[in-house]
Amino acid sequence: MRTPIAAAAALWLSISVAYAADPPADPLKSVMWGQMYERHFSDKPVVFDDKVSVIAPKLAEDQTAIPVTVDASALTGVREIVVIADLNPIQKVLSYEPVQAKPYITFRFKAEQGTPVRAAALTEDGVWHIGGVYVDAAGGGCTSPALAHGKPDWVSRLAEVRAKVWRTPGQSTARLRLRVQHPMDTGLADGIPAFFVERLEIQGNDGKVLGRLRIYEPVSENPTLTLMPNLGPADDRVIVKGRDNEGNTIDAVVPVGVRSSALETGPNRATR
Amino acid sequence: MTQDKTISRERRAAALNSWPRQWPSRLDRRSFMGRTAALAGAALLPQTAGAAPQQYDLQAIEIAPDTYAVYGAREHFTRANGGNIVNISFIATDDGVVVIDTGPSLRYGQALKALIEKTTKRPVTRVYLTHDHPDHVFGNQAFDPAVIASLPGVIANMKTNGEMFAENMYRLVGDWMRGTELVLPGAALEKSSERFGSHEFELIRMAGHTSSDLVVLDKKTGVLFTGDIAFLDRAATTPHADLALWHKSLNELEKSSFATLMPGHGPAEKGKRAIEQTRDYLTWLETTLKSAIAEGLDMNGAMAAPIPQRLQAVALAREEMARSVSHLYAKFEEPFLPVVSNRS
Repeated sequence: MRTPIAAAAALWLSISVAYAADPPADPLKSVMWGQMYERHFSDKPVVFDDKVSVIAPKLAEDQTAIPVTVDASALTGVREIVVIADLNPIQKVLSYEPVQAKPYITFRFKAEQGTPVRAAALTEDGVWHIGGVYVDAAGGGCTSPALAHGKPDWVSRLAEVRAKVWRTPGQSTARLRLRVQHPMDTGLADGIPAFFVERLEIQGNDGKVLGRLRIYEPVSENPTLTLMPNLGPADDRVIVKGRDNEGNTIDAVVPVGVRSSALETGPNRATR
Repeated sequence: MTQDKTISRERRAAALNSWPRQWPSRLDRRSFMGRTAALAGAALLPQTAGAAPQQYDLQAIEIAPDTYAVYGAREHFTRANGGNIVNISFIATDDGVVVIDTGPSLRYGQALKALIEKTTKRPVTRVYLTHDHPDHVFGNQAFDPAVIASLPGVIANMKTNGEMFAENMYRLVGDWMRGTELVLPGAALEKSSERFGSHEFELIRMAGHTSSDLVVLDKKTGVLFTGDIAFLDRAATTPHADLALWHKSLNELEKSSFATLMPGHGPAEKGKRAIEQTRDYLTWLETTLKSAIAEGLDMNGAMAAPIPQRLQAVALAREEMARSVSHLYAKFEEPFLPVVSNRS
């Protein structure tokens, strides 16, 4: 028979074992997992969870733009999604608060070598749910200069936003595709200081926050994102605000056409 | 704040001006090989110690009078195939042997040269390179650079990409590449034809698969050596492709008169099936990617698109389509996303 004190001690022990001493065993068997755990996740319980889907090619064809799709919508109450690449010189790729949005994001990132790519979804009960895949890559994605620097117009187009919203009538979740013109310099290419988009926020009509992003150096040049905000029937625009680490602002209004559903922009509309 | 920004721009501009025009070599190959050797020493020694070096098993198949094909596997580069995924051809003329492309490595080039000697008992008098891709040019070392010839554009591309391709090949196929170095052609082709013995070779300048592609027509036998302008039963690759130029080249080839078409990858055949299939695949690829963009999908969504029934027998269609998404998607999607920023 246990006394309350023994039970409390047992609970304390099990908790400390779970998220203070040893991280849970990594299904991707990364040598860096222990450090990733300590640096980013050890303050809360961690579970590896297939409900956090991470899709990326097994072998990166272009190590400066590896496409990743993160979908944590099988979980309820996702407050934040953090993406890390263990073996990158800069491991944190982005974090996303889907305030009024599906916990879903697509982006492209730069890898310095083959690396695990993990998405950790923090649920409102305070647990990190982690999913991930391993992406093999040739070297150098983070230390190669951005292509922008070879183009004469890169400064004049800096922070230009291209975007479109797809909305299917009758559905509250829309699809926003967004590209911000930016070199996203990591600071690791010779002689090029770090220069990257840091924050992006998307808002509805009345300025209510739909989603909040912190972006880090490993996100690819000209960050191209898919977000899935929940829009009300009256929402006819999505506002995009942000800034880079030098204080340049990002500011755009994306019209939400009621007719711009996926159905009406299908294959027959593909040619312009 | 504004001033800070200005200073930083200047700093950036200064840094830009100090860059080499080409991207720096990502990984020094020798240091890479050193690391690989160390790893091999630690992990692979028990298996490889004392084993004979890997050898290519090359066969010459006669596809027309005096004309031989050396077929590669319809696969990606792997450590099992040693990069032997490419078609090489040679033609035995009275003035010596004319070779089209040299294969993926020094060791392949040596095996090819031995096969040519055994088959024809004649010296190699001319080597044509169809384009700069690594499976086509890294056997050059086995031949006299003076007889190797290609278009000025191909030579320029080799200078730009050669070292990067070499590094990548070492990474992908490993020890098969041992000793392989880039060898540039000794001759830049300016003429539109060359004659060796009774064979007149028409040298056709094209582009699309890369920025410079050489197609060779042997007027005597009617064999058209397309390099990678045409693929057959193996999906086309697009890392340096310009699809509009590629279609233009295919249309020109279709109008030209030839008997047998020898593609860069896949079987030689009489008729135009390789041209038609390559065009069909490239058209499907472009339409599929643009449709995915129009539907709001990102790259991983596009990569999952179904392969149509008629293209399912094309080797590597799924894998090459996924690679092509990486090559083409960002470029294709820009016009589909309107500018919405509030800045002048």
